[in-house]
Amino acid sequence: MATVEVQGLTKRYGETLANDHLEFAVERGEIFGYLGPNGSGKSTTIRQLLGFHAPTEGTATVLGADVRDEAALQSVKDRIGFLPGEPAFDGSVTGAEFLDYHARLKGDPRREELLGLFTPPLDRKIREYSTGNKQMLGIVQAFMHDPDLVVMDEPTSGLDPLKQEAFNRFLRGERDDGKTVFFSSHVLGEVRRVCDRVGIIRQGRLITVENVEELLQRGGKRIRIHTDTPLRAADLDLDGIVEFETEGREVQFTFTGDYDVLFDELTTHHVIDVEIEEPPIEEVFLHFYGDEHGT
Amino acid sequence: MGLDTTRYEARRRIRGSVALTSILAAFAVLVVYLYPSIAESSADIDALIQAFPESVRQGLGIEAYSSIEGFVAAELYQFLWILLLGLYMAYTAGGAFAGDIESKRLYLVLATPISRARLLVEKTLALLTPLVVLNLVLPLVVFGTTILIDYPIDPAYLLAVHAVSIPYHLVCLGIGQVLSIAFSRGNTAQLGGIAIIFLLFLLDSVTAGTDYEWLGRVSPTRYVDPTEVLLEETIRIGDAVFLLAVALLLLFASLLVFQSRDV
Repeated sequence: MATVEVQGLTKRYGETLANDHLEFAVERGEIFGYLGPNGSGKSTTIRQLLGFHAPTEGTATVLGADVRDEAALQSVKDRIGFLPGEPAFDGSVTGAEFLDYHARLKGDPRREELLGLFTPPLDRKIREYSTGNKQMLGIVQAFMHDPDLVVMDEPTSGLDPLKQEAFNRFLRGERDDGKTVFFSSHVLGEVRRVCDRVGIIRQGRLITVENVEELLQRGGKRIRIHTDTPLRAADLDLDGIVEFETEGREVQFTFTGDYDVLFDELTTHHVIDVEIEEPPIEEVFLHFYGDEHGT
Repeated sequence: MGLDTTRYEARRRIRGSVALTSILAAFAVLVVYLYPSIAESSADIDALIQAFPESVRQGLGIEAYSSIEGFVAAELYQFLWILLLGLYMAYTAGGAFAGDIESKRLYLVLATPISRARLLVEKTLALLTPLVVLNLVLPLVVFGTTILIDYPIDPAYLLAVHAVSIPYHLVCLGIGQVLSIAFSRGNTAQLGGIAIIFLLFLLDSVTAGTDYEWLGRVSPTRYVDPTEVLLEETIRIGDAVFLLAVALLLLFASLLVFQSRDV
């Protein structure tokens, strides 16, 4: 049985359909990215998986427990870790007091090991913590009871790049040890670095689930080129160029084709500057999944 | 898992509880110290009190200042203990869940293997911290001060006032708690709790001695009367039991709401 199985999961808040008959599974030992723009329904799914919100229709099982059954879900929660994007703590206690409390609720066999990697100032009151420190405290509490499944809702905001990389490395190590990670994000670059498979959600609907490599292929890159003489669309008649725009002597487009072909073509022009970057996720959706899913 | 949440939350509340107790104890000392000068003044204060409208006398519990019991009951217990502490209990309980739900602090706890029912009960127990500290300290302070000024109050009835007011404060806490769980905004629940307790107190006061006196029966303040206990040495066990039952009902109601709602 898959670690997380989502079966027709639907959540309605009044008139808003936040999750619309979602259907997917997260297998044991994978890092599953749950990608979608802000407000697409990612957190809603997570809240249902952890039993905070009740599904309107459909259900999901987490480690075999039906999320609609509080007792069943409770019995597996010592095997689940949860890391919210901006974890909210009570500021009046110290980090150590907070971890002590959580240790009593769910155990902490890996606390010291984690505190070697992530170093929030435990003796200080949490209200004095920076965003990064709060995030690190969140990471420690999410993993310290050695859970089989870790659910993370936009987990990496606030970490500095070094800690971020340490965290990614840590996640991959956990995955290799058989842990399952469910990882929501609105940043394509974040997901591509650590995830094995990605489910894409937009306006409450699951658009696709695919391997990260395939997604990157389809997602392409945003390319901006500054040339001596203005480029026209006809000058770059290549496969994989979408959304071609010119502004003076600069052109900008999304590219999903072969880089060699592109650079060969560019050698015939005098290039002053080139920028290649991740496309904004909204654009990936627009271009590659069309607008039939709504705007 | 032995009351871990209660211990954790109670520890957070201990400082506020001690501060509150210190303030109330200081006020109690002040009030009791004033008493000899009133008792020994030549003015006939009781005659003045009798001239007050019934609703004022009932609402504020002012019956007689010619005895230390009547004075302490009116100045300390009716106003400070029943009204202000009642408001405080509703206010504190109002913030307990709504604040945690609003800030999403509750998620980290709910993600652990603790049931909602247990979490609710444990957090409620932690809300009793100020009540416990106050009820331990204040009777001693009041009794000690009345001995110092040489107008000793009967300790049995003093303790009785505290005993019968506990169910009343639990009802106030329950009202705040239900609001706290029903509304996801801390401010709404806190201010709502204060407003409800105060309006019920007013309703009880203004209807006292009128044809509409029965209206005041919905107010918890109708079922607790320090003046009656201290001055007339009458303890209505039935009223206290009734308040306790209402408090349990409110706890049960908040449990039902908390079990079924999205947080």
